Amino acid sequence: MSGATYTAAASVAEALGALSSGARPIAGGTDLVVGARGGKAPLPEALVAIHNLEELRGMSAEGGGVQMGALVTHAEIVASEAVRSTFTALADASAIVGSHATRHVGTIGGNVMNASPAMETGGPLICFDAMATLRSSSGERELAVAELFAAPGRTTATADELLVAVSLPAPAAGTGSCYVRLEYRRQMEIAIVGATAVVTLDGGTVSDARIAITALAPTIHRVAEAEAALIGGDSGEAAVRSAADAAAAASRPISDVRGSADYRRAMAAVITRRAIVAALSRARGEHVPIPASPALHGATNGGAA
Amino acid sequence: MATAEKPFIRQDGKDKVTGLGRYTADLAMTGMLHAKFRFADHAHARIRSIDTTRARALTGVFAVITHEDVPDVRYGPFVQDRRLFAKSKVRYEGELVAAVAALTPEIAQRACELIEVDYEPLEVVNDIEAALLPGAPLLHEQWAEYGASDDVVRDGNDCSRSTIVKGDADKGMAEADIVVKERYVADMSHAVPIEPHSIVAQWQGDRVTIWSSTQVPFIARSGVATTLAISESNVRVIVPHLGGGFGGKCEFHYEAQVAALARTARRPVRLVFSRREEFVAPDHRREGQVLELETGVRNDGSIVSRRARVILDNGAYSADAPFFPQLAAMMAVGPYKVENVFVDASLAYTNHTPSGSVRAPTAPQSCWAVEQHMDSVAARLGIDPVEFRRRNVVKPGDESPTRQIFEEIGAAETLEKAVEMIGYDRDLPDDEAIGVAIGWWPSFGIASGAYIKINGDGSGTIITGAQECGTGAVMALPLLAAEILGMRPEDFQLLYQDTDAGPFDSGASGSQTTFNNGRAVMAAARDVREQLLDLAAEELEANRDDLELVDGVARVKGSPSKSVTIPDLAEKAHGDRLLLGRGADAVPAMPDCDASGCTGRLGMESFLAPTFITHAVHCKVDRETGVVRILNVAAVHESGRVLNPIGANGQVEGGVVMGIGMALLEGSLIGDDGRQVNPHLLDYKLQTASDSPPIMIGWVDAPTKDGAGGPKGSKGIGEPPCVPTPGAIANAIAKVTGARVHQLPMTPARVWEAMQS
Repeated sequence: MSGATYTAAASVAEALGALSSGARPIAGGTDLVVGARGGKAPLPEALVAIHNLEELRGMSAEGGGVQMGALVTHAEIVASEAVRSTFTALADASAIVGSHATRHVGTIGGNVMNASPAMETGGPLICFDAMATLRSSSGERELAVAELFAAPGRTTATADELLVAVSLPAPAAGTGSCYVRLEYRRQMEIAIVGATAVVTLDGGTVSDARIAITALAPTIHRVAEAEAALIGGDSGEAAVRSAADAAAAASRPISDVRGSADYRRAMAAVITRRAIVAALSRARGEHVPIPASPALHGATNGGAA
Repeated sequence: MATAEKPFIRQDGKDKVTGLGRYTADLAMTGMLHAKFRFADHAHARIRSIDTTRARALTGVFAVITHEDVPDVRYGPFVQDRRLFAKSKVRYEGELVAAVAALTPEIAQRACELIEVDYEPLEVVNDIEAALLPGAPLLHEQWAEYGASDDVVRDGNDCSRSTIVKGDADKGMAEADIVVKERYVADMSHAVPIEPHSIVAQWQGDRVTIWSSTQVPFIARSGVATTLAISESNVRVIVPHLGGGFGGKCEFHYEAQVAALARTARRPVRLVFSRREEFVAPDHRREGQVLELETGVRNDGSIVSRRARVILDNGAYSADAPFFPQLAAMMAVGPYKVENVFVDASLAYTNHTPSGSVRAPTAPQSCWAVEQHMDSVAARLGIDPVEFRRRNVVKPGDESPTRQIFEEIGAAETLEKAVEMIGYDRDLPDDEAIGVAIGWWPSFGIASGAYIKINGDGSGTIITGAQECGTGAVMALPLLAAEILGMRPEDFQLLYQDTDAGPFDSGASGSQTTFNNGRAVMAAARDVREQLLDLAAEELEANRDDLELVDGVARVKGSPSKSVTIPDLAEKAHGDRLLLGRGADAVPAMPDCDASGCTGRLGMESFLAPTFITHAVHCKVDRETGVVRILNVAAVHESGRVLNPIGANGQVEGGVVMGIGMALLEGSLIGDDGRQVNPHLLDYKLQTASDSPPIMIGWVDAPTKDGAGGPKGSKGIGEPPCVPTPGAIANAIAKVTGARVHQLPMTPARVWEAMQS
């Protein structure tokens, strides 16, 4: 570990000032500190703590959408009725990040800016067209979360920009969603493979579909071929399978200690199919527990949250 | 009155759950420095030179030591094959090249990085089978010159070879109706105590006091004396609360290096390992194995012959592993009637972290292979696997692989009870199944001692050399004393984990604490009892033989009003002869056997007070992903007589969860460079509380004969509960998928791959 200087910012302006002189922000510290202790990367030389900034806290639901400060924790997301009912895939994801402790300390802002290709909330945010608000001493800009992810551990934000908020626009009526990950254990887990499905039903027809894959490429991304396989269709088994197969075909998995590329590719189809099926069920108003992953994997002892 | 058979709350429980308990890493002393090690930069390399100049020059560094700064001593319990610091070669990634003591851990770390080591990399010996082939690079070129116990059979990279021979296995195989041959491979796994290794050393003149997270303080003391060439009487080892061990803290680890740093620096020094260091450095992780099993059976299901070849991964140094081949060879037969046996087991040197006793060494992985093999044989015979076991499991009067005759044992009863508890015969969905496995494990008889003093207020103090590693075995010692002395367990304090105070004990290893120190405490209590009865006879003017100690008083049997309290007797004793008891009971004799045809006999040819276990596990397999969920476990143990049900049940629950971890996820992957790929807790996945299933526990009561076991006919219980769990899970997986998984752990990817082929 290093971290030669540490200041706790009293205002967003102060935090932005520190960033422009080279400091890196820290909130929950669940990636930064754990990574430094584990020898992944030393702590940055200068740290500016943003966890006291009230302005970055809290979430609100207006006009069917949800606005979240960067410091909103996973536990708060899971507890939000607006997220659970409207952006259910995001609740699925936040409910299985790390452990109980991680979810009470780790923030949505940290999760997004860490830009891990295996992070849980990325797929849902992309599929829900989430927008990120980035602020620096010289101004503020908004961009799609999808455009934020550049490479494993890298975003398109500049070093002096702070993520201050994430907002999700209202989805169309008849939308159901689900995030599923392949997990080897219930807690303290990271996605071996993950998939997000956001589907909108109009009568019996799929009027819109968003499919994203996680831990299957250098960045989390949507799969247009999978979406096309569903849109305009009857949401039947054949369409679901061809969408899932398209997701697997679009994957570029690596072989590592968590699984071989072959296994991950095969699992991409399975997990994507399960996400789509659950999203369709939710779109029809059927109950699928949050988080979906344990139930879909055959949990019988209480699930993850 | 509380008795040993009634539940009892342990004395250290509150400290541990409220955070009041102090562990070694919590200790701080004035002027204390922080230690860091420079580890090997290669898994196998010759050292050309070590230059510590730049490290010594760093501000804040007080000591930098290498092999040049400690006596040139090789050590090891069976084979003396290692030194405190590498001298001419490094043989695994966690080997120590140098140590630094500095003002902060960061400075110490920086100094370690400044040590310049010039290496000549050597070919890495990574494969345990290739290690034994002619022409394989030798880990220890001078192996033949090393000191070693006479009974260890060694040859080059084969550090210890043992055979178990009974009858004529080849002839038996030829006579069999069906022969089944299979091969199984188990990956290396770890003990993973939550508390990593921590040590503080402080010198006062020629004496050093070492606070250590060791499971075996007396063995640590001896190790320090041997390697630093000082007298044992100048070494005191104290263990604060120990945060788990599971075998990973057995043997002697780093106490000498930290003591040497403290001596050079002339300051107290503290070492606290990181999780990564805990994975790669200590010579106590569970050995990888290759098992080739061949079984010949008659059509009636009787077993004519078992042949097996077992190779165990010793790693770079042998620690306490040289007796593992003989143990693994016994495990390769299992608790079954087998008419003819030939097992050949070897311990292969490799460039891996050395193996050493982790909870029931060799047993869970051997049992996993053998019990899968038993199911495979049953399938070939067309007999239900439980019925096949029923016909072959050993019963009283049957003989072991070395013709030890089993006496009062309840192996068959554990099978029947487990099958009944889990509901073996019921219908299950297609993706669920119940697997069954039987395991066994010996008890270990070792010298052990204790004192008991009755204080002036009538309370008692038990002074013991035994080590509490979290199992509660030491905490339960007052139960045994209280019963003999007519007192309450809570009337006793414990003084333990200090080599200057307690008599010798071999520590929290080999499931031996209650088995041996329990007998010592009972002997000490009987000694005090005699003294109390003498005093009471005088006081009551009664015949000594008519007295009893009950409910805190000495009284005349049949006329309870004629009594005197133990506090009154204690007060009287403190004006005259003090009440002091000593206990060191004789070690039970090893059972007779016939091991005349066996080689490499290191004490495992017969099993003292063997314990038997059946686990029946109800699993659900996600056939698309290979993810296995454990729905329910029935764990039935024959452990002689159970003394403390809460403690015994706790051991079973913990053992089963550890067994599930070994079965499904816990394993080290090794890179081509000989290094562990996943030495951290995100990718070495332990079971979490959320993964743990309901565990139903059953006990079969089968006390040993007097003098053949532990207190009251009990047997060791610490290690056995993790033994059959992986095998039972494996058999359930195979039932669901129709495919056997031949490598441990049976990760989702491996289950899935088995289904594809």
